Amino acid sequence: MTFDAPFTIPFTVGCFFLLVAIATKWIIWLVRLPRTDKRLIRRNILSLETLKGVWEVIRESLLHVRIFRVNPMLGFMHASLAFGWFLLILVGWIETIAYLGMEWVPLQGHVFFKYFMPVNGITEHISLFEQLMDALLLVVLIGVAMAWFKRLRSKFMGMRRTTKHVLFDRIALSALWFIFPTRLIAESMNAALYGGHGFLTGSIGGWMANTIPHETLVTLYDPSWWVYSSLLCLFFVALPFSRYMHIFTEIPLIFLRRWKLRPTAQRKSYDNFEVEACSRCGICIDPCQLQEDLGINDTQSVYFLRDRRYNMLSLKIANNCLMCGRCETKCPVGINLNTLRLNSRAKRRNIPHEGRYKYLQGLDRSSGNGKVGFFAGCMTSLTPGVQRSMKEIFDAAGDDVWYADSEGGVCCGRPLMLSGETDAARKMMEYNSDLFRKHGITTLVTSCPICLRVFKENYDLEGIEIVHHTEYIDRLIASGRLHVEGGNESYTYHDPCELGRGLGIYDEPRRVLAAVGRIIEPQHSRRDALCCGSSLANTVIDDGQQLRIAQRMTRELEATGCDVVVTACPLCNKAVNRASSRPAEDVAEVVAKKITK
Amino acid sequence: MRNLNFGYGISRPRAIDLDNNDLRKSNDIIAEMPELQACIGCGSCTASCTAGNLTDFNFRKLHTAVRRGEYKGAYEELNKCMLCGKCRLVCPRGINTRALIMLIKRKLGDF
Repeated sequence: MTFDAPFTIPFTVGCFFLLVAIATKWIIWLVRLPRTDKRLIRRNILSLETLKGVWEVIRESLLHVRIFRVNPMLGFMHASLAFGWFLLILVGWIETIAYLGMEWVPLQGHVFFKYFMPVNGITEHISLFEQLMDALLLVVLIGVAMAWFKRLRSKFMGMRRTTKHVLFDRIALSALWFIFPTRLIAESMNAALYGGHGFLTGSIGGWMANTIPHETLVTLYDPSWWVYSSLLCLFFVALPFSRYMHIFTEIPLIFLRRWKLRPTAQRKSYDNFEVEACSRCGICIDPCQLQEDLGINDTQSVYFLRDRRYNMLSLKIANNCLMCGRCETKCPVGINLNTLRLNSRAKRRNIPHEGRYKYLQGLDRSSGNGKVGFFAGCMTSLTPGVQRSMKEIFDAAGDDVWYADSEGGVCCGRPLMLSGETDAARKMMEYNSDLFRKHGITTLVTSCPICLRVFKENYDLEGIEIVHHTEYIDRLIASGRLHVEGGNESYTYHDPCELGRGLGIYDEPRRVLAAVGRIIEPQHSRRDALCCGSSLANTVIDDGQQLRIAQRMTRELEATGCDVVVTACPLCNKAVNRASSRPAEDVAEVVAKKITK
Repeated sequence: MRNLNFGYGISRPRAIDLDNNDLRKSNDIIAEMPELQACIGCGSCTASCTAGNLTDFNFRKLHTAVRRGEYKGAYEELNKCMLCGKCRLVCPRGINTRALIMLIKRKLGDF
C-alpha cells in the first residue's frame, strides 16, 4: 500500500504545525498555573467530575446544546460543522479499517482515502460507508451554506448583529468555508474517473463524466486535491491565531472548570483558557444595552476578549462595561465575562501605599444594640426613605437592631474593587469585618445589593448570616412576626443586576410584594432583566448616556400599566426616579406603608 | 460671639499665580474630561462624600486646585476617596466624578 502523493505535503505540514502550536500553548498555560490551581487539578482529576467533563465535551464542543437553546437554527449550524466534521474524521477512520483491516495507515492515508483507493487498486466499494460519508459531507455542507447565509441574513439565526472579525479570523473563516465544497469537487471527480461513491459525490461524479471531457477531468483531478490539501493547511496554520483556537481551548477549559478552577480578581494563567475559548460567535452583542441603547460597538464581551487576547486592550474598553451580566447568562461557552473584565482593570500598581485609609483606625459611628445588624451602605444614605422604612419594619417586628452606618459609615469596598483596586478595597473589607465582629451580630441585613454581593463573595464573615433586606422582610412575614395587609395595588418589580443575576435572588422580593399587592412582570425580567445604567462598574459612559439607558428601562417597566415601579436597590431606585415622572419605590418602602399593628 | 462658624472657612486668603503654575497636567485632565468645566462649584460632591464625612477630604476644593495647577498633595488626598460614587449621583451638572478621580490619580500619581 502506498500513501505518498506530493499534494498531501501542505496538509501534513499544516497538521504538524497545528499540533505543535496547540501543545505549546496548553503546556505554557498549564505550567504557569498558580500552585493552588495545580493542587485543585491533582485533587479532582480522579473523580466523577472528569467523567462528567467528558460528557460535557460531547454536549458542548460537538453538539453545542447551549447554542441550540439560544436559537435552534444557530445551534444546528454550529453542530453540523463541529459534530459533522468530527464524524467525517471518525467514520473515515473506521472506513479505512473496514477496507484494509488493522493495517497501519499514515494520517494523510485516512484523510485522502478516496484518492488512494484507485492508486492502490482497490475497486470493491463498501456501499454502507460510501453512503454514510456522503451523508455526513452533506450535513457539513448544509452547515457551511447556513454560515454563508448568516452573513447575509443573521436575523434568520436569531441574531440581530454579528461579530466584526479581524484579519486572521477572516483568513481562517474563508479557508473553512471552502474546505468542504472543494472536498465535494475532488471526491466527485474521483467518482467520475474511477466510479463508486454514494448518493452525493456519486451522482455529481456521474454528471461530470457525462458533461466534462475526459481529458479535462484528468488534468483537473490532481489540482483539485492540491487545493483541498492547501485549504486544510491554511486553516490549520491560521487556527492557533484565530478564533478557531476555541475548538481546542474549550475542551481543557471544560475539564479545568469541572476540577473547580475559577478566574479571580487577580489575573492568572487560567484566564488564558477562558479568553481563548471564546469563539467570537457574537451572541453576547445583542443583549448588551450599551449597544442597544447607545450604539457603542466596540466594547462588548466578544471585542473585549479579542482585544485582551491580542494584547491590545485599552483602559477605556476594559472600563466601558456595566457588568450587568446579561451577556454572561447567554454565553454558550460559559465564560466568566465579568470576572475577566474585572481583573483586566487591576492596575499595575494596585497595592496602596501604607498610609492609605489610615483614618479608618478606631473609627466607630454605629448606634443601637442587637444581634441583627443593618448596613445601609453609601447608596442607601442617598435614599433616606429606605432607611426610615427599614427602621419601621424592624420596630414593628420587635427586633433589636445595631445600625452600622446610620451616622456615616465606611464603604463596603466593592466600588474600589470594580475599578481594579482590589488591594485598597481589602482595607475597607478588614475594617468592616472587624466592626461587625466587635458588635457581635449574627445576622447582617443590607439594603444595597452591591454591598450584599461583596459581603457574600469577598468578605470572610463566618458565623454571620448575610441577607438582603428583601430576604429578611420575606422571613419576617413568613414567620408571622410582621403583619401586612394585602391590597389591590399592582407592582412591577425591577430585578437589580447584582441581586438577580449576581446573587440569584429573584423570588424573595416577589413573595414580599405578592403579600401586599399584585405583581405584573415586565417584558424582560429575572435573568433577562435590563440594567438601570447607573452601574458603578462603568466609568466611561457619561450622564446623558446613563439617562438614556435608564429611560428605556423605565419605559419598559411602566408599559405594564402598574401602579408603582418597585426596585430593591438604591442605585436602580435613583435611576428609575430620574427617568420617570412618578416616584419608584423600594420594596421596604412599599411594605412599611402596609404594616398592620 | 465665640467660635461662630458660618461655613465660609474653606480656604485662607492666598495668591494664586496662574502664570507660574504648571498647567500642562491640568490641561490634559480638562482635555480628557471637558465636562469638568461645567462644574458650578456647588459643593454637593463634598457634602455627600463618604470619606468627607469621616475626614477633612474635600473634593470640590481638590479638583478646583488641580485645575489651577496646584497639584501638591492632591494625589495623597485623593487616596482618601473610597470611590463609592455618591458624588456622581448628586452632581447637578452630571459630571462623571468617579472617572474624574481616577483620571486625576492617573495623571498625578505613579501608575
